[in-house]
Amino acid sequence: MTARIIMKLLIEDIQDEPGAVRVLTLKHPKRPVLPAWQPGAHVDLRLPDGRIRQYSLISDPEDLTRYRIAVKCEENGRGGSKWVHESLDIGSEAHISAPRCNFSLDGSGAYHFFIAGGIGITPLMAMARQALASGASFDLAYCTSLEVPPFAAELHAWFGGRLRIFSAGGAAKRRFDVRAGLPKQEPGVRIYCCGPERLTGAVREATRDWPEGQVHFEVFKPALDENFKPEPFDIKIASTGQILRVPAEKSALSVLKDAGFLLPSSCELGVCGSCLCGYREGVAIHRDSVLPVHARQDRIMLCVSRARVQITLDL
Amino acid sequence: MSWRGVLENIHIAPAASYEMEELLEARLVKGRGIEGDRYFLGTGTYSPKPAVREVTLIEAETLEALARNDPPLQDKPIILAPGDHRRNLTTRGVPLNHLVGKHFRVGETVLKGGRLNFPCKYLEELLGLPVYMPLYNRSGLNCWIIEDGIIRKGDTIEPIDP
Repeated sequence: MTARIIMKLLIEDIQDEPGAVRVLTLKHPKRPVLPAWQPGAHVDLRLPDGRIRQYSLISDPEDLTRYRIAVKCEENGRGGSKWVHESLDIGSEAHISAPRCNFSLDGSGAYHFFIAGGIGITPLMAMARQALASGASFDLAYCTSLEVPPFAAELHAWFGGRLRIFSAGGAAKRRFDVRAGLPKQEPGVRIYCCGPERLTGAVREATRDWPEGQVHFEVFKPALDENFKPEPFDIKIASTGQILRVPAEKSALSVLKDAGFLLPSSCELGVCGSCLCGYREGVAIHRDSVLPVHARQDRIMLCVSRARVQITLDL
Repeated sequence: MSWRGVLENIHIAPAASYEMEELLEARLVKGRGIEGDRYFLGTGTYSPKPAVREVTLIEAETLEALARNDPPLQDKPIILAPGDHRRNLTTRGVPLNHLVGKHFRVGETVLKGGRLNFPCKYLEELLGLPVYMPLYNRSGLNCWIIEDGIIRKGDTIEPIDP
């Protein structure tokens, strides 16, 4: 997929929201305008050790003078969000990629139902604003463990009665009931879900009979797959016939990079879509969270997906 | 060959895909590249590939042609700001395509033309602009550094070899 420019942006402002969420406002030190983006898009934030974290843009896509991202400090995370909270300050430099969009409003939908869990509200903020601006019919359900979740005031101001907050931690203890709360399946209905595995898993389960393309998920964590046992397999390079062995403990991406192939990659978790590659023969074992079902017959994400015995890649 | 050109811009990028940064002067190091640049540091997209790219040059005249859509290879003009093209040196009045294998002077340094630069899909993706065809055959020159030294914006560029 697409290579993206990386910019050294300046942190102009920091605001804290409830639930250990920190909102960074970023601007370019020289250019007045940042690369354009679509609601639902995310940027990569590069950590000093080269690792990458992805954050949805929550600002107004019409205002390209600044980006805003929200970072929840995950105490038990992999360290990226803690670094953001502890090391970045107003005036600091953050290395940010141009935006990429894997999750966008489906223009063919007649009714949009957005459902967010916790910090999963972030991509849906800009998407629901887009739906509002375009006069589309929509509702936004926001599940949270807090009595007053991040962005509650802004969301109320924007969406009024279209916003429903389901606060498991509040006095009312109102939980979202996935079975009863989702809209009924009809051709024009679209669901967009972003949140923890518990929520996305429940929505997936409740909508498993829905036609493909009506239910969309944004995932920033790899799919849960504790029982998966990687097996070794061979990669055949279509252009040269070269065969490369992928041992069980290595990814196809790392084997190809070691062999000198220049391949784009980013999250290496199967969620960003950077390392997309075409394939011809073979049975792919798709383990990513980004490729839609219709693309899986001839495309593969090299960072996490594997193959049975041998696969021929379009390289 | 009789010509005399000028160095209009100097750009480096600290690593692959990073935005280019403009310098007013830079140090060229033989066998390495421009101090601070991704190819000096070995962190460029094409660093693992053989072939010289210690310093890359492109003609300002090419960028102006793209801005005029001349020849009309794309739907509309493409405006590439200096540095967006990701070459290190933007030159004016220098016939880069004639300098393969030739020595020439940039300020106090001496470069030798290696191979003509090819446009790449990577650049097209990075910029989100259809620059591949319009840059074909005028994507600049990849050079060796023969004599080290400092180059400055506005330096004269002139031939050494006949």
